[in-house]
Amino acid sequence: MRKNLNYGRADTLTLFIGPQHPGSGHLRLIVEIDGDVILGIKPDIGWVHRAVEKIAETKKYVQVIPLVERPSIIDSANINLGYVRALERLLGVEVPDRARYIRTIMCELNRIASHLYGIGIFGNMIGTSTVFMWSFGDREVIIELMQELTGARITHSFFLPGGVRGNLPEGFEEKLENGLRYIENRIPEYRNLFFENPVTMSRLMGVGTLDKRKVVEIGLTGPNLRASGVEYDARITGEYGAYNDLKFKPVTRPNGDCYARLMVRFDEIKESIGLLRKSMSKMPHGPIMHESKKGMARQLLMKVPEGEAFSRVECGRGELTFFVISKGGDKPHRVRMMTPSFRNLSGFENALIGHRLADIPAVYGSLDYFPPEADR
Amino acid sequence: MTNILTWPIDLIFQPGVFITAIYPGLAVLTLTLAGIIWFERKVTAKVQRRYGPLYIARKLGGFPQLIADGIKFIFSEQIIPKKVDKLVFIFGPILLFTFSVLPVIGIPLSPSYAAIFSDLSLLLVLALITLSPMILIMLAWSSNNKFSLIGGLRDGYIMLSYEVSIILSLLAMAALYNSLDLIEISQAQKGVWGIFLNPIAALTYFIAALIATGKFPFEISEAETEIVAGWATEYSSSLYIMNMGTSYVRAYVMAHLFVIVFLGGWNPIPNFMLAIGPLPGLMIFVKSMVVLCLMVLLRSIYPRFRVDQGVRIGWHKLFVLSMAAIALSVILVVAGLWGQIT
Repeated sequence: MRKNLNYGRADTLTLFIGPQHPGSGHLRLIVEIDGDVILGIKPDIGWVHRAVEKIAETKKYVQVIPLVERPSIIDSANINLGYVRALERLLGVEVPDRARYIRTIMCELNRIASHLYGIGIFGNMIGTSTVFMWSFGDREVIIELMQELTGARITHSFFLPGGVRGNLPEGFEEKLENGLRYIENRIPEYRNLFFENPVTMSRLMGVGTLDKRKVVEIGLTGPNLRASGVEYDARITGEYGAYNDLKFKPVTRPNGDCYARLMVRFDEIKESIGLLRKSMSKMPHGPIMHESKKGMARQLLMKVPEGEAFSRVECGRGELTFFVISKGGDKPHRVRMMTPSFRNLSGFENALIGHRLADIPAVYGSLDYFPPEADR
Repeated sequence: MTNILTWPIDLIFQPGVFITAIYPGLAVLTLTLAGIIWFERKVTAKVQRRYGPLYIARKLGGFPQLIADGIKFIFSEQIIPKKVDKLVFIFGPILLFTFSVLPVIGIPLSPSYAAIFSDLSLLLVLALITLSPMILIMLAWSSNNKFSLIGGLRDGYIMLSYEVSIILSLLAMAALYNSLDLIEISQAQKGVWGIFLNPIAALTYFIAALIATGKFPFEISEAETEIVAGWATEYSSSLYIMNMGTSYVRAYVMAHLFVIVFLGGWNPIPNFMLAIGPLPGLMIFVKSMVVLCLMVLLRSIYPRFRVDQGVRIGWHKLFVLSMAAIALSVILVVAGLWGQIT
């Protein structure tokens, strides 16, 4: 990669796109272009690094829960669940069935919110502000639902080791159904305006193509992986939530270009709506918290036995892995989180070579890269 | 005594003064600009389920928002970076704005009311329209900024691809009307408007005008997420207003030309009413506002094309279409002559 970048050549131009650039986010892309064609691109990250992993070592186990959701507040339920699952493995606690289903509902709601956010930013990047406004407005419906359930709009900290903080409120099923029906009714409008807009299609089809072998080799994850035809989703491992009972099948597309990545997100919204309906109808009765972990005092004074635990969950942007090491006591010895955006970063270097300068926002948006999540 | 009182009024209603200073010149143009930008923001907001401009004069739907924005821009700091070519950097926007307004002098308001009576007024307007893109490239170079440079070069590429089609589509109409005089062209549309005679030329002109004025989906040289603000990246304050206004001024001029050549100008006002003061001018104004609204409406529908796609559309689609328009005109002319003979 580095040898592709040849700074200071007379016939090429080195552009520093970001971190102060309308299309860059908290990221700097160092791009070498020859005319309009990209010769080399090097993402320079770390502008919003907040040392989450290090701070986690100074906090009690339960205090780390609000901390780890900060890097990706759009997708906080999923990112929380990764940490909580690792903790539950260390503690050897099994989650009650009802809590698993409530967790699934939260995760899927958050996935829809995250995908709407991603699609909106993508739309804005290639120039249609309408889809940006629409999806941010429609995301509000999902956020209201999550607020109904957890009391918070985006940073819920709803999951605790052993279960969830609260039960489903009165009349939630009806509100959820109304919300989902609203999103479903909006889907054809999105399709007409954006997904099947001839300009969108001509901008995105065949751009930033990554084939099946390449995406596995560079370790892309989530919708970006599935858009190249790889049928992998951390949800099918059945390690968390209620996905085993719900007969879930990952959404895939064969093409691996920007358009496929966009459409995988779009299809996953529909998939999530189905999952939400199924989990609501199958919702079991019973406790929402393991007996041994009930009460704030038990959570706060929690001592974790010595050991290591690994967990993985499927975030909106891809697979998130947590590795927690405990040396006994009430604080973690080491928390390691590998976020999906960090893994998706390698997509930039591989998808953009030989494309046009104007394809940078298209590929950026299609990877749904979120700098705070990658920088942690 | 009466002479002194009536003299200024007479002066204002001199065609040369009225057309350049009042309508379609500076005064109405400025107001229209404020109106059309307000309309654009309001319609886009409606499509996007927002309110748009609202708080300045709520009862007018935030109409004076643009005036407030203008005041804000004028009083914000004028930053001139150290390494720019100062002369071009400062005079560029002024020239750009002037050259984009200039083509209005060729636009007639009625058969007897025009600033310039010429057999070649269509060519004059065309020539003046093609002046401003060169200044734009000059500006981009003077800014000494990579993004400005790319924006300017993009505009250069785009200019090459739309100008041929715009000229050819208008010449197709000139062949059809057998005249390069805008007054004659307008009078010739007493019965059937140009857009119905040669819809291919009208379509070509309309799309080329979208490209020329940088409207969506061809907002290529100012693409924000790609190259910040393109050629206007380094500008701030009042110089920026002039840059930003230029695209709307060009759209305004293009819309007027579209009305004169394709939408029948002051028609269908009957001959005996043409002498009634502002009537023909009002007709042109209303029609051109409709065209202008159509041009800005597309912002809420389309994303933007890449520059290579823009150039490809210019050469592969529009150029072919404009040739087809000429062929259609020739066929119509021949058919007309054949009709006369037989």
